Amino acid sequence: MPSRPLNRILYVEDEEDIRRIARLALERFGKFTVEVVGDPLAAMDAIAAFGPDLVLLDWMMPGMDGPTLFRRMKEDERTRNLPVVFMTAKASAVELNELKQFGAAGTISKPFAPKELPEQLRAIWEALPD
Amino acid sequence: MTDTAASSRAVTDAAPPAYVRDVDPRRTLADRVEQLYSQLPLGIAGTVVVGVVAAFELRAGRYADLVALWGALVFAISAARLTLYVAWRRRAGRGSDPEQWLRWLGIGALASGVTWGFAAAVFFPSHADEQQVFLALLLTGAMAGGISMYAASWPMYAAYAAGIAVPFTYVLATFGNRLFTEIALLVPAFYAVSVGIAWRLNEVFDSGYRLRHAYRRLADDNAELNRRLQQQLTELAEARRQVEASGRKLALFAERSPIAVLELDPQGRIREINRAAELLFGYTPAELAGEHAKKLILPKYHVEFDAQWHRLLETREPLARLKLRNPRRDGIAIVCEWTVTPLVNPAGETVAVIAQGRDVTQELEAERLKKEFTSTLSHELRTPLTSIIGSLQLINSGIMGEPEKDVLELTTVAERNAQRLLDLINDILDIEKIESGKLALAPQTLALDEVLHEALVLNRAFGERYRVRFEMRGEPPPAQVRADRKRLLQVLTNLLSNAAKFSPEGGTVEVSMERVGSRARVGVHDRGPGIPENFRARVFSRFAQAESALTRQKGGTGLGLAICKRLIELMNGTIGFADREGGGTSFYFELPVLEAPTARAA
Repeated sequence: MPSRPLNRILYVEDEEDIRRIARLALERFGKFTVEVVGDPLAAMDAIAAFGPDLVLLDWMMPGMDGPTLFRRMKEDERTRNLPVVFMTAKASAVELNELKQFGAAGTISKPFAPKELPEQLRAIWEALPD
Repeated sequence: MTDTAASSRAVTDAAPPAYVRDVDPRRTLADRVEQLYSQLPLGIAGTVVVGVVAAFELRAGRYADLVALWGALVFAISAARLTLYVAWRRRAGRGSDPEQWLRWLGIGALASGVTWGFAAAVFFPSHADEQQVFLALLLTGAMAGGISMYAASWPMYAAYAAGIAVPFTYVLATFGNRLFTEIALLVPAFYAVSVGIAWRLNEVFDSGYRLRHAYRRLADDNAELNRRLQQQLTELAEARRQVEASGRKLALFAERSPIAVLELDPQGRIREINRAAELLFGYTPAELAGEHAKKLILPKYHVEFDAQWHRLLETREPLARLKLRNPRRDGIAIVCEWTVTPLVNPAGETVAVIAQGRDVTQELEAERLKKEFTSTLSHELRTPLTSIIGSLQLINSGIMGEPEKDVLELTTVAERNAQRLLDLINDILDIEKIESGKLALAPQTLALDEVLHEALVLNRAFGERYRVRFEMRGEPPPAQVRADRKRLLQVLTNLLSNAAKFSPEGGTVEVSMERVGSRARVGVHDRGPGIPENFRARVFSRFAQAESALTRQKGGTGLGLAICKRLIELMNGTIGFADREGGGTSFYFELPVLEAPTARAA
């Protein structure tokens, strides 16, 4: 469990409506500091600029999908150690397992419940190693 | 004499073939009896003629009465032997005992010999010199003539000739005349030689009989072989007729089959095509004959075709479900699924290759559309629903400011129905995945009792919505099962939410777990209205819902229990329901328990 509590979250999601809801839920329920990014191609720069504790990634996005962006992050030493949580509608057990093996910190299935989202993220954060 | 001995030895001593060696001795005995009897009339006739001549010649002596008596004796014995002959003729070949017939004949022969011996003993001393010469000639003639008569049985001849030789020798030896004494020494020698010749002849006859029987057997066997050969030829002709008939039938099948059939040579060139292939590709058989099969395959598949063809000829195993894009005469490419079968002759050579193809273009297109639809349903419908449900949840939570009471009521209705739509979509996707066999379970070893507790916690909020409490009946026994955790929770959630929906407000839904043999049985018991009689058979069917105001009011997709049943069956379990005592329904499922429940999953 990391020594400091989870505070700064960056969410990459192409759907504007879902971005807005997730932001509201995380800010209002979770009291987190939130940054949302709609264009996955701009995500790397946004991560560098914002400096999040944790990155929430949508799985399916036009331009660049979540897994590709995740690989980019792993290649870049500035973002290599950032915990990444995937948001996905493809929720089969096998696929979720694959994601975990891929190095993801956790997964949250879509559609998510706004009220429960902050707690889910805190649980994932607390399960992380130091 | 030496020649006879040598030749008879050659016949008897040379290692005879099995056919000759194995002849039944009873058969040769019967042959011997046959031969002896067939010569009997000649013997009797000879005896009578010689007897008459002798009686006439000797009557002038002192013992005319004795001659008459002797003549009568010869006649009597001859008559007896004739009777024996007649009797034998009547009975011959009716399975009568040949040894008995041989004994009778032997007695006859001995009697005949003794009558001649009697003549020697009585008339030789009493008659004059000329008659003595006559008698001596007569007696030696009778002895010599007996050889041909009785050669088929040398002991019989020995008995017959002894009947003559013994009294004759005695008379000669006691006559008191030196010449006669010398002749008396010669008679036994003559006797011995005669018996020896009879013995040799006996052997020659014997091997003759054996040869005859062997020949008969050979002939019989040959006839049997011929008969069998004939039968086999008939059968072969029938088999050939049947093969030809089934060949014609097969050809007819191929010709009329809706599946395209191509016969290729081992080099891959087309020999023949059926009518369906003609219609499918638009070429006539004549246009394709001699062309390589690649003419009917798009060039970019040629490399794969070559590889598959090579493997086919190598392994001689048929290829099935081989999908290729095949251009028609008009240039349009269709997708066909091929089954390719090499025809291998008994020598192990591939003589032809039969390719059967089915146009699956439309099937593939339908499959693609279905996939696309499923994908659309999955993503394009769920994405907006995520926004709708999320927004409504945010509003209903009150975090955006407390909405007015009427507004909250409406947004709650909206949220509930949006959730219902999402459930329906999820259920449809689930059932589609299960039924197309694409649902991959992630089975792991689970403590069923722990999963049960977890399900109760997860569904508590849902129960509260219907003012229903979920309660564990006693402490469940520990049981390890092999199951997909998420899917097992899905089943439990379905059963619990169903029970909650149909329970009276303020009621309790009981959850039980027990061991039943090698299985663990989980029950969910409600106090609802029960399942109507006319609905019981369809409870686990898709889109099944009992027709009642209550079900419409409670909502639900009608897929939940269908999914539960399929999921439980995928986990090697069974599911069912029963009326509950005191009203209500019990749903239950059983899963096989892993034995040795020692290490509980942490």
